[in-house]
Amino acid sequence: MGFLTILKKLRQKEKEMRILMLGLDNAGKTTILKRFNGEPIDTISPTLGFNIKTLEHRGFKLNIWDVGGQKSLRSYWKNYFESTDGVAWVVDSADARRLSDCARELHSLLREERLAGATLLVLANKADLPGALTVQQIKEALDLDSIKTHHWRIVRCSAVTGENLLDGMDWMLDDIASRIFTLD
Amino acid sequence: MSDRHSVLERLSRRDAQRLEKLQKAHKAREEVDACNENEEYFSGAFKIKSEYIEDLLNQIPTLETNTLPSHFDSIKRDVNELQKYVVTSSFFLKEFNMRKYLGIVQNLQTKCYEMEDRYVPRKKFGFSKKKLPKSHDQKQNSLDERDGAAKKDSNKWDEKLFGFDSIENKVLLLQNDDLFQRDVALRNLKNCTIGLKGVMGTLHLTNLESCVVLTGPVTSSVFIEKCNNCRIITACQQLRMHTSNKCDIYLHVTSKGIVEDCSEIRTAPYNLQYEDLEKHFNMSSLDKSCNNWDRLDDFNWLAPDIPSPNWSVLDVTQRVNNWNDWWSKIPL
Repeated sequence: MGFLTILKKLRQKEKEMRILMLGLDNAGKTTILKRFNGEPIDTISPTLGFNIKTLEHRGFKLNIWDVGGQKSLRSYWKNYFESTDGVAWVVDSADARRLSDCARELHSLLREERLAGATLLVLANKADLPGALTVQQIKEALDLDSIKTHHWRIVRCSAVTGENLLDGMDWMLDDIASRIFTLD
Repeated sequence: MSDRHSVLERLSRRDAQRLEKLQKAHKAREEVDACNENEEYFSGAFKIKSEYIEDLLNQIPTLETNTLPSHFDSIKRDVNELQKYVVTSSFFLKEFNMRKYLGIVQNLQTKCYEMEDRYVPRKKFGFSKKKLPKSHDQKQNSLDERDGAAKKDSNKWDEKLFGFDSIENKVLLLQNDDLFQRDVALRNLKNCTIGLKGVMGTLHLTNLESCVVLTGPVTSSVFIEKCNNCRIITACQQLRMHTSNKCDIYLHVTSKGIVEDCSEIRTAPYNLQYEDLEKHFNMSSLDKSCNNWDRLDDFNWLAPDIPSPNWSVLDVTQRVNNWNDWWSKIPL
């Protein structure tokens, strides 16, 4: 107890990251969060409000905020922007119909001042479904190449099979870590 | 001796008087507190104050230009006070109502600023701050418009969609071989009966009018948007329903259903029968014993103690009990 403990506490705090999970409704945000946390995913209801999970991964403490994507909740997204290190934007790859809505919401999100500098991970979820669009198609539909203000990457994944979820998250953690924990 | 006695008596009398007075004051304060600090009193007071500000705002066009700045100042002061009043009352207001009141204050504030922009334009030189909120408004408005029901749904991935589009007065049927675990979309249909005898992955219903939709189990979610005057008989894991009116849903939902911007929605338990239904349920891995058909969440109704006015349970006497004849005829 003493100085060392204080130092350790400080370091712990330093290793914390705040990650915001956003996207249209029915994209699978809560399912991804539960899959990460190893919880059952077959009883998930549409999110009325938000879920928070704190979990340890590779020595980082992740605070993941999963905010509901219904149209009436989107105006509340801004309440969660403060001190966000990374944004996981979840897309339903099988829902071509609403990709233009999705692109619009994403780009209006990126204009947000309080998210400046946050790392953007686009999770092309439900990629295992028949009829899912390819990563390339989603990249074009969301006009990701026009994003110059944020570090971004798109990853095809499936919350149901767990495919690629960790790879995507690891990239985001590395990107955030290289930015905010330069003292390591 | 008697002197001492009278002094003591006087003292005790005064002490009693003092206590009584204290008690009275305490009681009086309590009464004031209690009647000031409840929601009814608050909503009354809030209404009076907000209407007063509204009046002040309405006076603006009739006032002389040189009195306007001070007029605006007093409005702003009143709005601020009102806001403070709401915030300090937060400990006895429900969150839902609190948000409502703050919304009203916000509206007054924006209105005040808009009026000020219009009637007391700033000098030409300087940093034009006023543009910011305006463009923000515009952006939001145009977002809303584009979200609105006016557009007909279509985009460049149309050919990828599997289902029915733009049909009137028909009976449409699909079997499990075609449907199995696919993403099925029904769009822009009018007065049709759609029978989907199979297991689907997801089901999208968009812009249907006066249709009857009879479906087997859907493994993940059913997505309903802009449907009016329809009967939908479906089983799924999640139900999401948006901008729809006057629909009866005969529902099996294993997690929970939600409605958003809907009205006059009625629900009943799923009661469809067809030959392979049992088999299809097993294939879909939906839990047949778990059905939350009567517990929808309404995103436009966050008060937990009052039921949403936008949906209700369909009365038993009004339910259709047997759909066998419905597969083969158009609704109207």
